[in-house]
Amino acid sequence: MNVRLEGISKSFGSNQVLKDIDLVFPDRRFVTLLGPSGCGKTTLLRMIAGLEQASSGSIYFGERRVNDLAPGSRNIAMVFQNYALYPNMDVERNIGYGLKVRGMLRAEVKERVGPVAKVLEILHLLARKPRALSGGQRQRVALGRAMVRKPDIFLMDEPLSNLDAKLRVTMRSELKRFHMDLETTSVYVTHDQLEAMTMSDLIAVMNEGVVQQFGTPEAVYNTPANLFVAGFIGSPPMNFARGLVERNDGPRLAIGSHRLLLPDAYAEALRLFDDGSELVLGIRPQDVTLAAPGTANTISGRVWMVELLGSEKLVEVEVGPKLRMTAEVRADTQVAIDDPVALRLDSARLHLFEPGSGRAIARS
Amino acid sequence: MSPGMHALFEGTRRVVAYAVLAAVTFVVCFPLVWAVSTSLKPKTEIFAYPPTLIPETVTFENYRTLLYGRATYFQGGAAAPSSAAPSAPSDYFVDWFINSVIVSLGATLITIVVSTLAAYSLTRFQFWGQRLVPYFSLIGYMVPSIIFVFPMFLVMVDLDLTDTLLSLVFGYVCITLPFCMWLMWAFFRGIPLEIEEAALVDGASRLQVFYQIVLPVAFPGIIAAAIFSLIVSWNDYLFGRVFMNSLENMPLTVGVMHFFEGTHVDWGLMMASSVLMTVPMAILFMALQRHLVAGFGAGAVKG
Amino acid sequence: MLRLSDRQIGVLFMAPFVVTAGVFMIYPIFEAVRMAFFAYNPLRPDDIRFVGLGNFEYIFADPLFWASFYQATFWTIVSIVFQTLFGVGLALLLNQSIYGISFFRGLLLFPYIVPTVVIALNWRWIFSPEIGVVNYALMSAGLISENIYWLSTPDMAMASTIMLNVWKYTPFVIICVLARLQTIPLELYDAAKVDGAGAWRRLLDITLPHLKEVLVVVIVFRTIWTFNKFEEIYLLTRGGPGTSTFNLAIYSFEQSTANLKLGVGAATGVVMMLLLLAGSVIYIRVSGFGREDKTL
Repeated sequence: MNVRLEGISKSFGSNQVLKDIDLVFPDRRFVTLLGPSGCGKTTLLRMIAGLEQASSGSIYFGERRVNDLAPGSRNIAMVFQNYALYPNMDVERNIGYGLKVRGMLRAEVKERVGPVAKVLEILHLLARKPRALSGGQRQRVALGRAMVRKPDIFLMDEPLSNLDAKLRVTMRSELKRFHMDLETTSVYVTHDQLEAMTMSDLIAVMNEGVVQQFGTPEAVYNTPANLFVAGFIGSPPMNFARGLVERNDGPRLAIGSHRLLLPDAYAEALRLFDDGSELVLGIRPQDVTLAAPGTANTISGRVWMVELLGSEKLVEVEVGPKLRMTAEVRADTQVAIDDPVALRLDSARLHLFEPGSGRAIARS
Repeated sequence: MSPGMHALFEGTRRVVAYAVLAAVTFVVCFPLVWAVSTSLKPKTEIFAYPPTLIPETVTFENYRTLLYGRATYFQGGAAAPSSAAPSAPSDYFVDWFINSVIVSLGATLITIVVSTLAAYSLTRFQFWGQRLVPYFSLIGYMVPSIIFVFPMFLVMVDLDLTDTLLSLVFGYVCITLPFCMWLMWAFFRGIPLEIEEAALVDGASRLQVFYQIVLPVAFPGIIAAAIFSLIVSWNDYLFGRVFMNSLENMPLTVGVMHFFEGTHVDWGLMMASSVLMTVPMAILFMALQRHLVAGFGAGAVKG
Repeated sequence: MLRLSDRQIGVLFMAPFVVTAGVFMIYPIFEAVRMAFFAYNPLRPDDIRFVGLGNFEYIFADPLFWASFYQATFWTIVSIVFQTLFGVGLALLLNQSIYGISFFRGLLLFPYIVPTVVIALNWRWIFSPEIGVVNYALMSAGLISENIYWLSTPDMAMASTIMLNVWKYTPFVIICVLARLQTIPLELYDAAKVDGAGAWRRLLDITLPHLKEVLVVVIVFRTIWTFNKFEEIYLLTRGGPGTSTFNLAIYSFEQSTANLKLGVGAATGVVMMLLLLAGSVIYIRVSGFGREDKTL
C-alpha cells in the first residue's frame, strides 16, 4: 500500500506547522521523516495515523482518500515513543487489544497472539504486566501489538529515543528486519540522522514545516539540496565557509585570504554569478586531508584542537578570524596543537550553496 | 470526517461541555447567590411571591443593622444597648465578627510558628523519639473532634479559660497543628541541604540560617498552611459552641446559629450574616488558589 | 550568645509543638477514653464514679444508639455513592483543556471553604416549605403539586442532609480524581484509537483502571470522615425531626450536653474511634501495605 500526501498543510491557531507537503511513500518501503524538534514530522505522522486532522490537503492510502477515516479504520499500526502499553493489562491482553475491540473472540485472539509472541521471543512474558518489563521487552510488546493486526501501514514515532545507546544500535536492526518481515510500508519519525541513514529506503528531511529534500540516504548525503540538509546529515557535520566569487583565473572562491580554485564542474553554473558575490562552500570533514603548508590550492591555518575518536582523529584548524574547519584523518597521523597545516579539499566532494536561499548550486 | 465536519463535531462537544459546566456552577453557587440577593431585599420583597432573583429594590438596611445595630439605639445618643432590651443578632454581630477574626488570626499565628519550628527540627536535627511525634500527632488529626471536645473543655475548666477567646485559640491550634506540621515538613524536605551548609560555612549560626535562609525559601508553604489554618478556624462551630456561653464572646458561627433558634427569623438579617461570614473566606480562597498553584505548581494542573 | 548544640536546638524547636499538642490534644484524647469508664455529670464535678463498662452497656442497650448507628451508615453510604459518581463524572468533564477551564476548576473548591453554618442557614432558607425558592421553582416547573417539607419529615430531612453533604464534599473527590486524570499519559488514548477503540471503550479500558487506586483512597477516607460528621447534620436538622437524622456524633453530643452524661458521650466516642480504627485497618489491607511500586 503506498501513501500519498497531497498539499498537506496544518495550522494550530495562527501557527502553521506544515506547509503544503507533497510526498509519495512507495509500497513496502521504509520511509523516514527526519528533522529537528518542531519541524512538523510528528504532526505529519499523526495525520497519517488519523490522530490529527489536516487543515487542508489529502492523504491517500493507495487509491483511497483516508482523511475522514478514524484511526481504527485505517488498518494501521503504530509504535509510540513511550510505547503506550496499557498498564492494567498483561502482555497477552495488550497485544490482543486491537483484535478484541473489533469483536474477535477470546479464543481466536489467543490463537493470533501466540505465534506473534513466539516470533518476537516474548512468549514467556505473556502473563506479565508492562511495569515488570525492561525497555527492550516493552518495545517488543509494542511491536507485537502492531504485528498481530497485519496492518497496511506501520508507523513509528521515535521508538528508540528512550533506549540507552547500546540497546539502540541492536534495536535499529531489529526494527528494520521487523519492517521487512511485516511486508508493509513503514513510516518512521526521528531526529537522529544516523538512525535515518542506516534504516531508511527513503528520507524526507524536514525543517520548519517544509520538506527540504526527499530522497535516498545516498542522495541526501552526497547531493544535499540545500544548506539545511547538508548541515543536518552527516557526523561530524559538514564544514561551511563563506567566500566571494572570483571569475578570472578561476573560477575561484576567496575565503578570507585564501583563494581556492573551484572544480570545472561548477564553471557553467558560476557564470550566473557576478564577481564578488557571496557563496557558501561546504565540505565534509571526511573529504578534507592534511597537507604540508604551502601546497597548492589548499587552505592554510593553525591546528586549534585534536580529538582522538579511536580509529580516526578530528583535527580542528583555525583558517581565518572566527573560521575553523575540521578534518577527519587517520588516527596515526602525527599532528599537534598549534602546528601550521594546510587543508586539501577533495574537489569532487565539494559543495556550493547560495547564501540567501541556501539552495545548492548544481554541478554540470 | 472532513476538516469542516470535524470542526463542527468539536464545536458541539464544546458547547455541551460548557453547558454542563455552567449548570454545575449554577448548582454550586446558587445558595450563595440567593443569599446575596435576599440580603439586599427589603423585608417586603423577601416574602414576595413569586420570588425575584435580582431585587427590585436594593437596600442595604440588613447590612447596616448588622454592622451598626438598630437605628433606635443610636438616635437618642444612647451609648450602648441596655441589657434589658431584647437582644438581636444585630447587637452582637460586630463583636462576633471581631471575635472570629481575633481567634482565627491568633490560632493561625501560633500554629504557623509552632509547626514550622517543629517541622524544621524534624528535617535537620535528630534526637531520640523525634520520629514518633508526627505520627502521634496524626492521631489527633484522625480522631473526629466530637470525641475530644468535651475533655478539652474540661482542660479549659482546669486552666480557668472557659468562655475566653484564648480557649478557642488553643482549640483551633490543636486541630490545625498536625496538618500544618506535615505540610511544612514536606516543604522543608524539598529544600536542598546545600543552601544551609553554604550559609554555615559562611559563618552563620544555626538560628541565623533558619531565619535568613530557610524561612524565606519556605514562604509559599507557610502561606498555604496559614490560609488553611485561617479557613478551618473561621469555619468551626463545635468548639465555639462547647467552649463559649456568653453572647459577647461567641465566634461568628456560633453567634449567628444561636439567634437562628429564636422564634422569629429575620431572613434578610440571616442572609446578610451569611454573606458577611463567607466574604473573608472567599477572599482567602482566591489567595490560596494562587499560592497553591505557585507553591505546588509544576506539572499537575494544565489548561 | 548562648551556644547551643545542634541537638539542643532541635529539641528546643520541637518543644512548643510537643507541649501544645500534648496538653490540648493527646491528653484530651486519653481523657476521652478514660471518661468512658466513669459516670460524669459536668454540673456535679465532684461526683465522679467509676462504672467500668456501665456506659457501654447503656449505649448498647439504647435503641437510639442503634438507630443512630444505622442512620449514620445509611447516610454515609448514600452520600459516598453520590459523591463518587458526581466526583468522577465532573472530574472527567473538567479534564478538558477548553478555554476558561481553570476558572471552573477554581470555582469547584468553593463549597469546601464555605462555613457549614452558612450553608446550613442558606439551605434552610432555600428549602423552606412555604417561602423557599426551591419549592417555588419546582412548583412553577410543574414537577410537584404541593410543597415538599424538606426538613420536617424524616425521609426528606435525611435526603436534605445527604444533599448538603454531597454539595459540600464532592469537590474534594473531584480534585483528587482530576489530579490523577492529568497524569494519565495521552499516548495511551492514541494507541487505543489506533487499535480501534471508541470513546466508551477508552473510558472503560484506560481511564477507569487508572482511577482505581485513587478512588479506593478517596472512598475510604470520605467514608471515615462522613460517618463521623457532626456539623453538617446538626446545623441543618439538629438530628431531627425527632431523632431521625441522628448519627453517632450527634448522639454523643446530645448525651453530653442535653443528658449531662459525659461518660456516656465519651463511651460513644470510644466506639467511634474503634470503628475508625477498623476502617483504617481495612484501608491499609485493601490498598496493599508494602506492595510493589506502582510506577510504570
